Amino acid sequence: MNHLPQAWGRPRDDVYGAYDASHFQMSGPTQHSSRPIVTGTSVVAVKFKDGVVIAADNLASYGSLARFTDVKRLRTFNSKSVLGFGGDVSDMQYLDRLLNSLSVRENYSTSIDDSGKSDLDAHNLHRYLSKVMYKRRSDFNPLWNHILVAGLGEKDAPFLASVDLLGTTFSSPTLATGFGAHLAQPILRRQVPDEAASKELSQEKAVELIRECMKVLFYRDARSMDKYSIAVISKSGVDLKEDEKLENQSWAFAEGIRGYGTQVN
Amino acid sequence: MTSIGTGYDLDNSVFSPDGRNFQVEYAVKAVENGGTSIGIRCKDGVVLATEKLVTSKLMKAGANKRIATVDRNIGMVSAGLLPDGRYLVSRARQETASWRQIYKSPMPVASLAGRLGSFVQMFTMNGGLRPFGITAIVGGWDSEGDMAVDGQVGAGPSVGAGGKASGKKYGGPFLYMIEPSGLYWGYYGAATGKGRQAAKSELEKLDLSAGALSLEQGVKEAARIIYVAHEDSKDKEFELEMTWVSGLSGPTKGQHQEVPKELREEAERLAKKALEGDDEMEE
Amino acid sequence: MIQPTGMLGEDGIHVDMDHLKKGEVNLGTSIMAINFKDGVILGADSRTTTGSYIANRVTDKLTQVHDTIWCCRSGSAADTQAVADIVQYHLGMYGVENDEAPTTQTAAALFQEICYENKDNLSAGMIIAGYDQRHGGQVYSIPLGGSLHKQTYAIGGSGSTYIYGFCDANWKEGMTEEEGIDFVKRSLQEAIKWDGSSGGVIRMVVLTAKGAQRHLYLPDNGYTGPGYK
Repeated sequence: MNHLPQAWGRPRDDVYGAYDASHFQMSGPTQHSSRPIVTGTSVVAVKFKDGVVIAADNLASYGSLARFTDVKRLRTFNSKSVLGFGGDVSDMQYLDRLLNSLSVRENYSTSIDDSGKSDLDAHNLHRYLSKVMYKRRSDFNPLWNHILVAGLGEKDAPFLASVDLLGTTFSSPTLATGFGAHLAQPILRRQVPDEAASKELSQEKAVELIRECMKVLFYRDARSMDKYSIAVISKSGVDLKEDEKLENQSWAFAEGIRGYGTQVN
Repeated sequence: MTSIGTGYDLDNSVFSPDGRNFQVEYAVKAVENGGTSIGIRCKDGVVLATEKLVTSKLMKAGANKRIATVDRNIGMVSAGLLPDGRYLVSRARQETASWRQIYKSPMPVASLAGRLGSFVQMFTMNGGLRPFGITAIVGGWDSEGDMAVDGQVGAGPSVGAGGKASGKKYGGPFLYMIEPSGLYWGYYGAATGKGRQAAKSELEKLDLSAGALSLEQGVKEAARIIYVAHEDSKDKEFELEMTWVSGLSGPTKGQHQEVPKELREEAERLAKKALEGDDEMEE
Repeated sequence: MIQPTGMLGEDGIHVDMDHLKKGEVNLGTSIMAINFKDGVILGADSRTTTGSYIANRVTDKLTQVHDTIWCCRSGSAADTQAVADIVQYHLGMYGVENDEAPTTQTAAALFQEICYENKDNLSAGMIIAGYDQRHGGQVYSIPLGGSLHKQTYAIGGSGSTYIYGFCDANWKEGMTEEEGIDFVKRSLQEAIKWDGSSGGVIRMVVLTAKGAQRHLYLPDNGYTGPGYK
């Protein structure tokens, strides 16, 4: 043991290894050990002729632990736009507050005659978010989310676009994040292959399609759950339901499954 | 209130021998020349109203609003030097924004009034600064509902939180007025600017402390009071500007907003009628 | 360049975070807080470990940050103490500056800001529970990444993983104080039983309109008492 005062209060070398003084180098790079801890899984959305339908389940996982089962990952920004968050929940809360402060600033004008005109639309919101996300990735400190922006854009046309933790943006008549990009997107694309198809799609069909996707995701995504939120954004505003339960699941066929090949009983 | 050229009026941070800060008193003069602004604290909300004097016919009617939104639930109007008012509004917005950043909830109106009072007072002590040439009226609604943390996820018990004290009321309408000295008080009715004396005597007649006046009545009274206060400067044209903020169950759902056009026009019609009525009585 | 010797650096001040973290005192813990009919109950075991050595067997992991706002600490003892100290200071200031006691939300927001903005350097999992007349009892959980979750009841620390099933099966809303204490005690007993990093006595704090009341339950009498004084 070393009894010199310089070693007092220090973890013992023989137990914890030699002291690593590399941090004394002030010029070294700053490291952000960012990784998502409490996470949400997929978000899915589709444009239809009058608006957009978007959905996400209410689960926030802690690794494989289904830790929080009442986390609403669809956040309404205003009457024209809803955000769906996948990824880190703490970063979602950060962004939620950031957008809240943006919204407060947007409403400094007391005039209500032209409030409809001055409202930020979904397109503006997506552009703003993409700048925030890209700035953070360029600081090597990304916000660990993949976000879908659903709502009405220019001239109240349906708008749907995504932005991820790198600031990458993408737009399409159908979009899905996370596991949904693999499982739901093909289903959505089969029904809505292009813009023309989405302009033909009714609200009922769009909602039905999204609910079907949520079901498939529940079947195959081990980080999903059967309680979810769904929102329809159209000219009549935002219709958000936050406590939906998956219905019409198909499990009874399990009875016909016996063994794993040759077994018959 | 002339200082008779003693020299003590020149510097903001220097007292006169009889204990006055002349610069502050001159600032009050600037306020007294401004268009009348009032605030009424009603039982279910706050009304702010101002007599916006039309300085040029070349300016668009209804543009260049004088009442500002500070945070969603708080509005502010002032009388005196317009740019000074704008500067205080921007400070108020900074205060409420930074409050939100720290506490993740809207700033109580009382706390904002306190911060603004301190800010305005600072301009009466420091050399190189001049006091604000405005008196500001701050009105807002502190939410009566349960407060959430901004960006909150999760909801707590479905049966509601346990142990709430029953029968108590929280939040509600609040109204403050901040003077150039930094002095501020909470009011039931506040008036400042050129027509403040007439406005104050009208406000006193309303018996506001009884807490009986409804917000909609308040809007009509506010319009009338601004018209009454304008009587002394009848030669000048003006526009009536009014905003209001109600509780969550009221017309503005806790937000500070412009009074809707129809209601404002109705209030103005009644105000004009009331004034004409006065004239007739005198004949 | 200073040689890596295990001594202090030339400036005699700096501490290598990663090095310290390795041997750090850890609250490998079982903590929880619940809503009940009249307020909230916080509960915790009392074991603090450095590796497998029990550095303190009678730790108090229930920390007061305002009159009736308390928190349960899990993770690094040093980190969570520092965070709680900062929040306690801010809440104290809030109380005198605004002439009004802070709410549980205020406390939760402050805790979250610190945990979120410093997530790269902290290992702190906190549960915040408080009572105020306006909002009644409230429970908030702040897990590792710094997100904030309002919950009916919250469990945390290494021992909590063993009692998710127990708590879910036995939870009911609107319990009486007696039922609540029993629920917390039985849950923590299970956690202590299965988690090597949890143990010792069970401490509780009951927060209601009447104020804060401490409870203590000892292992050598089967966690039957002494209860509260």
